[in-house]
Amino acid sequence: MFHTTFYVRRLHSLVGLLALGMVLFEHIFTNSMALGGAPALNGALAMMELIPHPIFLGLEIGAIATPLLFHAIYGIYICLQAKNNPGRYGYVRNWQFALQRWTAWFLVVFLIWHVFYLRILTKGIAGVPISYELLQNYFVANPAYALLYIIGMFAAIFHFCNGITTFCMTWGIAKGPRVQNVVSALSMGLCAVLCLVTLAFMGSYFVM
Amino acid sequence: MAEQKKVRFVIERQDGPDSAPYTQEFDVDYRPGLNVVAALMEIQKNPVTVDGKKVAPVVWECNCLEKVCGACMMVINGKARQACCSLIDNLEQPIRLQPARTFPVIRDLLIDRSVMFESLKRIQGWVEVDGSWEVKDAPIQNPYTAQTAYEISHCMTCGCCMEACPNVGPQSDFIGPSPTVQAYLFNLHPLGKFDAPKRLNALMEKGGITSCGNSQNCVQACPKNIKLTTYLAQLNRDVNKQALKNIFNH
Repeated sequence: MFHTTFYVRRLHSLVGLLALGMVLFEHIFTNSMALGGAPALNGALAMMELIPHPIFLGLEIGAIATPLLFHAIYGIYICLQAKNNPGRYGYVRNWQFALQRWTAWFLVVFLIWHVFYLRILTKGIAGVPISYELLQNYFVANPAYALLYIIGMFAAIFHFCNGITTFCMTWGIAKGPRVQNVVSALSMGLCAVLCLVTLAFMGSYFVM
Repeated sequence: MAEQKKVRFVIERQDGPDSAPYTQEFDVDYRPGLNVVAALMEIQKNPVTVDGKKVAPVVWECNCLEKVCGACMMVINGKARQACCSLIDNLEQPIRLQPARTFPVIRDLLIDRSVMFESLKRIQGWVEVDGSWEVKDAPIQNPYTAQTAYEISHCMTCGCCMEACPNVGPQSDFIGPSPTVQAYLFNLHPLGKFDAPKRLNALMEKGGITSCGNSQNCVQACPKNIKLTTYLAQLNRDVNKQALKNIFNH
């Protein structure tokens, strides 16, 4: 007896928390360098360029693209199984359940656009390296895109932090209501902190 | 004489399993202690809408009238609950009654909950008894888990948790919180525990516990206050251990 559904669903949970959580933290960490201005961010980007190209591409495909595609495609299947009902059952956890799915839909569209524009069109095809100046010109010239990026980051951060709570329930780590509330409060606290960091580094492009 | 106070009911009706739903409104004379089932009985006696039209009586299901059998579960003012213990005094008026559409509707407020019975068969919601004992020889309940077992055994398969759960319904194959948690009840039983691996393996199948999305509506909706989310987390733990056994024991 091999329970495919069970293993795929658990893998979905692990991949979301570990692989994609890592990608999210890498993005927040590197982008927060923008707070130190052009030299800091460009320095951080240059550090990443030190990784040999084939290894870097392998990481991008193996540690980002593959987990992301798996999580997104199986996630769409999970989303389609839910009839969100926070209007009728307006409990906090049910709103979080619905938000987890709404942010998922938004992120699928947002990430296709983000990866296609920055990684494939700009860096890949046009061969323009990502730099502080490129991002600043892009955001200042198109404040609507900057806003879209902020919303995209907020969505990803909420999806990840709420994912920590559900991970602890799904894996049987947090069993009783008290510990579940503590985990939920801690992850929402982390969500607030990461959102503030995002606002700070995105805002810095406009004031510097 | 003071004018008789009326209670307005807005009822979502449906003539058959495949017919389109429509709503009708009824007024029922208010009396102290009136509940939804008693009001439906008044409508049955005199099925006349507020427009004065005589219509077919509203069909619904009820049995024990004391929140033990689960039969009268319906959606009252948007939430799944037992009609028999829903006092008019505690409800916002007009009172809206709908069938629990997570289940197939047979007619009006009458639904078909047999899917829950099928799910109980799937998770082996029974104890295999090999003979019987004199009282003194029978295996005893673990005194440390007896309270929990008693609590879960209150489940009356009313389906409130199934209606509230966003992951249960025609769009999904999730067996739902109630049948899932019943597996834990029988895993706690001194004889039932021998079949625990069977039940946990059944929960690993498609539509089993992995379909739980942690919305936690079930624990809010349960009229018997069963700590469903706690036992779902416990079963998640047990199922993960069972998966490790499945992998490393063979």
